[in-house]
Amino acid sequence: MGFVLSSLKKDIARWRQDATAILLWISVPLLIGGILTLLMSGSGAKPHGVLLIADQDDSLLSSLVAGAYSKGELAELISVEKVSAAVGREKINAGKASALLIIPRGFSDAFMQSEPVTLTLRTNPSQTILPGIITDVTRVLLDIGFYAEQLFGSEIETIRQANGNRGLDDARLAALSIAIWHKIESVAPYLFPPAIDVDIVEPPPDEPGVPFALLFLPGTILMAVMFAANGLAGDYWAEHNQGTLRRLVSTPARVTGFLAGKALAAGLIITMTGGLVLIIGFLYHGITWDKLPSSLAWIFVSGIGLFAWFGALQMMASSQRAANLLTSMLLFPLLMVGGSFFPFAALPNWIAEIGRNTPNGFIVDRLTREITATSVWAIDLQSWLIVIAMVVSGLAVCAWRLKAGFARG
Amino acid sequence: MLVVDNLVKQYGDLIAVDGVSFTAGKGMVFGLLGPNGAGKSTVINCISGLLRPTGGHISVAGFDIRKEAKKAKKALGVVPQELALYEDLPAIDNLRYWGKAYGLRGEYLESRVDEVLNTAGLADRAKDLPKTFSGGMKRRLNFACGVVHKPPVMLLDEPTVGVDPQSRERLFELVEAERENGSCIVYSTHYMEEADRLCDSLAIMDHGKLIAQGTVAGLRTQLGARDVLQLSGSFPGDATKQAIRALASGGIDLEIINHEEAGLTLTLSGASQHLPAIFEALSGAGALVSETSLRSPNLETLFLLLTGKELRE
Repeated sequence: MGFVLSSLKKDIARWRQDATAILLWISVPLLIGGILTLLMSGSGAKPHGVLLIADQDDSLLSSLVAGAYSKGELAELISVEKVSAAVGREKINAGKASALLIIPRGFSDAFMQSEPVTLTLRTNPSQTILPGIITDVTRVLLDIGFYAEQLFGSEIETIRQANGNRGLDDARLAALSIAIWHKIESVAPYLFPPAIDVDIVEPPPDEPGVPFALLFLPGTILMAVMFAANGLAGDYWAEHNQGTLRRLVSTPARVTGFLAGKALAAGLIITMTGGLVLIIGFLYHGITWDKLPSSLAWIFVSGIGLFAWFGALQMMASSQRAANLLTSMLLFPLLMVGGSFFPFAALPNWIAEIGRNTPNGFIVDRLTREITATSVWAIDLQSWLIVIAMVVSGLAVCAWRLKAGFARG
Repeated sequence: MLVVDNLVKQYGDLIAVDGVSFTAGKGMVFGLLGPNGAGKSTVINCISGLLRPTGGHISVAGFDIRKEAKKAKKALGVVPQELALYEDLPAIDNLRYWGKAYGLRGEYLESRVDEVLNTAGLADRAKDLPKTFSGGMKRRLNFACGVVHKPPVMLLDEPTVGVDPQSRERLFELVEAERENGSCIVYSTHYMEEADRLCDSLAIMDHGKLIAQGTVAGLRTQLGARDVLQLSGSFPGDATKQAIRALASGGIDLEIINHEEAGLTLTLSGASQHLPAIFEALSGAGALVSETSLRSPNLETLFLLLTGKELRE
């Protein structure tokens, strides 16, 4: 045990001098993960546009048309701003609104007399969705207006004139209400219930309330872990070149003690790099801190597992250059399919299935479970045993290679 | 202290070490002398456990290197030919680490570390990183790491390769100090002067075999008082040999060690007296001498006598 600790201290002392590498292992995933998270998260708000309305008619009907855009769910998408036609044109030309609707003078009279009238709608060509919505809504409004005029033309005219005369007396108001009611009753059999009813059914979410951007966090952490594990595993060749492995095998110290010390040191450095990304993610996404110990423990053990496997690969190669080439060739495809650049939820099912079965993808999958689950220590015992098996198998290959000639070169 | 018995190391068809046997005792420096590729490092690596011998037995301080590997390794101090240091770890931490690898702990470890730092002349640079050291200082630290656990048997594999004269002298002093302390030291080198200065006993290796073994004085005796005469030029085959044989039958004690078209090496007693007769005979045989070298008996000439070639070839 003494030599294990001695090896651990030795490697920590050596590796901490290479602060630039540690900084890169942290900053590169943070940069990539940060950009992806910001792109995917935003505030979660729906798109919102501005509709400029130049109401040159200034009548009850034109007010109703303008007001129709500010009702219900439409109000969440569109803000209505009343402007003069000149100001409206200026703003729409400057791209400061989604559309400009000009209601011409005489609109109300023309509408009531069923005479042709033109509403002008100018849309912002730099936007696509919102001007389209405004155009469709305007068309629907005009259709509704046409049928309303056909059905309630006389009543609307009465209200329009009464508005001009500052109100209706009670008797006329009652008569108007009765007339409208009779007309509604007469068309009710055709309108209610609707001939076609659409029932929208959405499947219940598996785990409710997981923001999509949060799914980037485990992959980003694993990117830092993979960079660190791969970088630190290169130390076997550094020791080989320094001749210290030759000296080691001529001492009575156990090779397993040396490897265990190095693995623990690597685990600490990896946990530090991955843990820093994890803490930043916790702060950004507002994850509860009671998940921190279990997440760090998972990073520590699985980080050692990845280090052990990268180390075994390094030692299997015939030269340092071949080792670096081999691990680099593996690293980036593994990151791609293993959920570090894109969460599994965003990958095609068959790629996600492959990804979850890669070593890093397996770790990302379980870390996602740990972070998003409602309870702490959500990773099952079997998964813990699998990463421990990774550690043991990787170190066993390293020990075999050290004894089989890697040390002497 | 160290017994190597009929050691064989084979790589496929290549026999790197062929039946090497020697014994080195307490308080002595045993030299392994031979040109590059003679098999010295392979012998050292077999003793240190870096290579598994194909055959033979090795015993260190009474422990069989195979059956009691841990005890045997604990009794060994190895100073490898190439530096074996953590260049990014302070000198003092290098010594502590290797001390712990040999099982040293606590105060004894610290006292040994201080001691070897002083002996190696590195006390004032103890906390510096070896990567800032000169080549000679690194060699001394390399040496110190091998002896920090005070081993009874030490293996020094060409420890002075690439070292400046001043540092070489310092290393010689370190080796002599260890011998004074009673260590058994196996010193591999291809520098004759190092072997001459340091070694109490010597084995000469070539092509994986021991070709001579004994004390330095004993080996000199084996050479006798014969000088070595090396001639370059043109030496026609049969005529040259006949001329030399005629000289020998005429009463001159001489012998051909090596004869090629462009060179002739002879060993003879009282060479300076017979030079005129030799040149005359060679001239009569149609030989043309362009360069002459006459050397008194030493280990180098012994190697030449045994192998027919220079030690540094």
